[in-house]
Amino acid sequence: MGKKMLNFEEQCKIVNLLKSSSEQKSIEETLTEFFTNPKLRHFNVCYSLSLLLQDKMMLSSTERLVAFAILHRSYSSQKSAANPFISFLVNAACDEGAENYERAFILHLLGFGNSNSSKEFLKQSASEYIKKFDPSSQTFPQKEQLQKQYLEKAHPEPYACLLKSTAVKNVLADPDVPPGCDVNSAEFDLEPGAKSKLGSGDRDEALSGLIANLSLEGLIPHWIRPLPPRFPVDEELVWLNPDNNHELQWDQGMCADTSRGAAVRDLIAKALRGPLAPNQQEQVLVELANDPKLVYHCGLTPRKLPELVESNPLIAVDVLIKLINSPEIAEYFTVLVNMDMSLHSMEVVNRLTTAVELPKEFVRTYITNCISSCENIKDKYMQNRLVRLVCVFLQSLIRNRIIDVKDLFIEVQAFCIEFSRIREAAGLFRLLKTLE
Amino acid sequence: MDLRDSSPSSTPNRDGNAGDDDGVLSVTSALAKDAALYFQSRKFAECVDVLNQLNSKKENDPKVLHNIAIAEFFRDGCSDPKKLLEVLNNVKKRSEELALASGEQVESGSNIGNNITSGSKGSGTTTSLPASNCASIIYADEFDSSVASLNIAVIWFYLHEYAKALSVLEHVYQNIEPIDETTALHICLLLLDVLLACRDASKSADVLNYMEKAFGVGNVSQGENDLAASVNASESPLSRTLSEDPLDEMFSTLDIGGQNLARHTGLTSANDLPRITVDRSISGVDLKLKLQLYKVRLLLLTRNVKLAKREVKHAMNIARGRDSSMALFLKAQLEYARGNHRKAIKLLMASSNRTDAAMSSMFNNNLGCIYYQLGKYHTSAVFFSKALSNCSSLQKEKPLKLLTFSQDKSLLITYNCGLQYLACGKPLLAAHCFQKASLVFYKRPLMWLRLAECCLMAVEKGLVKGSWAPSDRSEVRVSVIGKGRWRRLLIENGTTRNRHVDSVERDVWALGDDGQPKLSLPLARQCLYNALHLLNCSELSNSKSILPSDSSLEENELSDGASSKNSNYKNLPSNDSKASTMPAALINLNGDLKEPKGGTNQEGIQTFISYYEDICRRENQMIKQALLANLAYVELELENPLKALSAARALLELPGCSRIYVFLGHVYLAEALCLLNKPKEAAEHLSIYLSGESNIELPFGLEDCEQWQVKKHIDCEEANVGAAAAKNSSPEGLEDFMFLKPDEARGTLYANLAAVSAIQGDLERAHHFVTQALSLVPDSSEATMTAIYVDLMLGFIFQWCG
Repeated sequence: MGKKMLNFEEQCKIVNLLKSSSEQKSIEETLTEFFTNPKLRHFNVCYSLSLLLQDKMMLSSTERLVAFAILHRSYSSQKSAANPFISFLVNAACDEGAENYERAFILHLLGFGNSNSSKEFLKQSASEYIKKFDPSSQTFPQKEQLQKQYLEKAHPEPYACLLKSTAVKNVLADPDVPPGCDVNSAEFDLEPGAKSKLGSGDRDEALSGLIANLSLEGLIPHWIRPLPPRFPVDEELVWLNPDNNHELQWDQGMCADTSRGAAVRDLIAKALRGPLAPNQQEQVLVELANDPKLVYHCGLTPRKLPELVESNPLIAVDVLIKLINSPEIAEYFTVLVNMDMSLHSMEVVNRLTTAVELPKEFVRTYITNCISSCENIKDKYMQNRLVRLVCVFLQSLIRNRIIDVKDLFIEVQAFCIEFSRIREAAGLFRLLKTLE
Repeated sequence: MDLRDSSPSSTPNRDGNAGDDDGVLSVTSALAKDAALYFQSRKFAECVDVLNQLNSKKENDPKVLHNIAIAEFFRDGCSDPKKLLEVLNNVKKRSEELALASGEQVESGSNIGNNITSGSKGSGTTTSLPASNCASIIYADEFDSSVASLNIAVIWFYLHEYAKALSVLEHVYQNIEPIDETTALHICLLLLDVLLACRDASKSADVLNYMEKAFGVGNVSQGENDLAASVNASESPLSRTLSEDPLDEMFSTLDIGGQNLARHTGLTSANDLPRITVDRSISGVDLKLKLQLYKVRLLLLTRNVKLAKREVKHAMNIARGRDSSMALFLKAQLEYARGNHRKAIKLLMASSNRTDAAMSSMFNNNLGCIYYQLGKYHTSAVFFSKALSNCSSLQKEKPLKLLTFSQDKSLLITYNCGLQYLACGKPLLAAHCFQKASLVFYKRPLMWLRLAECCLMAVEKGLVKGSWAPSDRSEVRVSVIGKGRWRRLLIENGTTRNRHVDSVERDVWALGDDGQPKLSLPLARQCLYNALHLLNCSELSNSKSILPSDSSLEENELSDGASSKNSNYKNLPSNDSKASTMPAALINLNGDLKEPKGGTNQEGIQTFISYYEDICRRENQMIKQALLANLAYVELELENPLKALSAARALLELPGCSRIYVFLGHVYLAEALCLLNKPKEAAEHLSIYLSGESNIELPFGLEDCEQWQVKKHIDCEEANVGAAAAKNSSPEGLEDFMFLKPDEARGTLYANLAAVSAIQGDLERAHHFVTQALSLVPDSSEATMTAIYVDLMLGFIFQWCG
């Protein structure tokens, strides 16, 4: 059910107002009485009246006049163009089918013609006005003229939804009532005391019924707005599985012997400064093997690695292999690749390649460094030594598929040609050729 | 003194050492031993006493404080986890400060020689131990806070605060190598549980993969299952010893000394099995079973049903003769996921030891899930409420155990309840459940969508103030006013559009008696916006992590996939993944086609994880479609055609939008346009379904509705049994599919085209369409109203007023 436009109080007010129009009260009095009630919602009342006015037969002639007067008075404090019902009034004034007194009355209300006209005509009652009306005294202007005068300065057409402005009224004459039936004819009036006859009816009852049921909305084409479907439940239900138990842990490290691995720490410190004796070296390797975590506590840092590599390459290899999963291993590799080329560093790298997977980039950079070191070395003897070493190293890497020759082919080839006087370089060159 | 009696092993130790040289150290370490023994035998009060003695000797030692906090927590019946968290966080902070300070000391005092000698005695008196100067910057043993971190994470985990647990654990995991075996193992296991709870498949796979290698699980068994490992072990030395003599020869001639050549082969396996010395507190087989079960959970999470089936079988084999309730539950979940509901029920029945409240709550919940999927909503409701009452009895159990906190799954079960109420058409109860469950689920877009659905359903059913009861809404009313010649007909429609606005807008955020916001359309809108926001956030973060791996498809995926996916894990897994691809590659080289049974290799993991990510992406897309469709609907209901317009547009712009949502998008968009006085554009949107002048095609087919229908899979294995069962079990809740049938959708389009034509003044066309509409959706009051309107306008009803 649509919302009712008028509350109960308003309904009573309107019904009383309309009834009182037939009395001998002046229109002015009726209006004043009506507007002294501050609780009325003017727009709703006016809109209801306008709907009733549209139904030409529902209101009596006097009621109609009072209704028009209210439509006008409700907004008379503002410019006429601001009255939301101004076009309704103008149209009614121009309605050829309407009674002339009604049209004249509206023109009077609007103050047409004699702009300074007093409100004298309101001092009489509605029925007096009709009685006294002289059709010849009134000329009816063209609709355009009225529109020009009262609507011109109107605000731009307010936004109205097309869907709603196409509405038709949702109150219809009952199609069972024969068309052309003159509801006002005395034919249907009830003789007092007579039995009710077909077609009779109480106008007041119909009127108050209508007033009670008027709604702001008319009949409009309706749009079907399907409710979206509920989202399918797929994997959404929560399935429960038993939990794993996670106990709170006791910290075993509390007051633990912090001298753990002290011997190894000492030895590693010594190993940074010079080669360890074979038995010392063995001890380090054994202890590191016994405690896989010891390597993290042996005091080696990336910065100290070069010293260890130069003094004790085998320990360095062992430590690096054990650190391979450490988050710092990349740092160790960076140090290793950037330290001066030497027999020992090469041995360390070579052993690492056979033991663990090294990052490709590391191996590449290391080889490039090897080659450039060979080229830069001044001492011929040392150079030969280094070149031979690099060649053997490279052959080993290639044979073990540690490096892909294609990656370094040109570089290595150039190296072989430059040092072709050295036997190992020639050997490496031949190896390259066979792989081509 | 009962201390001596209960820990006899420690007494001689202490007595023997007490008088000796290193007084303080030995006394403290003896006390520490006592405390540990008391702790292990669960005598927490005595334990705290000893610890307090210890604390007076070593004031403010973080580890002592840590153990005191743990022991007191147990002593007090695990009653206040929040307080324990606070203490542990302080301990952790203190340890880190100390570690930092000692690290600085190392840096400044780099004069090694002096300190070394004093350190060699190994009897440094107190904190300025030799350890500090030699300790690497990475790891200071004494101030290691990993145990504290682990315990913090354990508590968060039990409190269901997975994100917090995760952030603590991830930090520790990044530097896990130096951490001792036991702690590292516990960290990994907990991390796996947390990651699985967060449904992070790819990180779970990384950790699982790391654990399989780091803890040498493969070696624990007879090696039969870990083909990969064994192949690797036998294969790599072979290939490596190809390095022929010249090199060694050369090196020896070049004076390197080959003393330790023998070690050479020994080294080869070093980086594959760095943690061979597995912690013995968890036996090898137990650990293996644990990992296997994690693997199954991961596979179930990623919906890899096939692999999961195989792995769960394997798990059952390992579990033989042990407590296997977890394995059985997982197997039941697997069958449930495959739609073998009967089998799932059977497995649950077999597993449950139903005297235990925790177990029976899970058991009942899972049965509820199964019956829900079978469409038996009322039965499922019974099981869910049983599960909830199990939970509440669990809460009353004394003494409290830490596990009790996590075993309280009531919020999760409550979420299931919400779904079930929604399915039964009880939006108020459902909303109540979702609002409760939102404590856990607040980050899931789907939860917010469900809450919005509750609002819409409540409005639809007239349960919300200002909405009309369905009986009022669905009919056209004609009332007679007056009698006789004064008779007038009043035609009214239940679905007058502005019914909600003023009545609801007043108390948008009005709270009900229970303190929860009342269901309303504005609340629905708010929920939908929340969900969209969450979804967009997750998309954003996903696209960040997915892009790199997409660009480096296939080949790079093998080596870099893991590392590029999550930068947090950059160091460890990239090494790990390389190591683990090696064996797979070797197998292929050898032409050995047997798959490694035990170890899911990295390549496989990557494939199924990207498959899973695909599923997730598609699901999110579906959710997004639903969100936008609902949003457009809600905005229309709230008379915001502009917002409805943009929501409907966004919906239609989604890639891969399902046909049902495309249909809704067009209908909502057209209505919004119409409300904005653009009937022509509105008509164009509806006309895409027009074939020829005036015939409308089905906007979607029955196959598009499949997703919404109750699934009644019948597994091929039990096709015979299952078919019979499925026939007997017709879903209780009528048809689960609550949306328009394709024909009705077609009728809707006709009706709306009629409305648009009427507004445009083309009454003939409107008449044609509305006649069609009424033949398809004869019950639609809207279509009827449009028909009346058109008839009135065409003057079919004789003499109407106005």
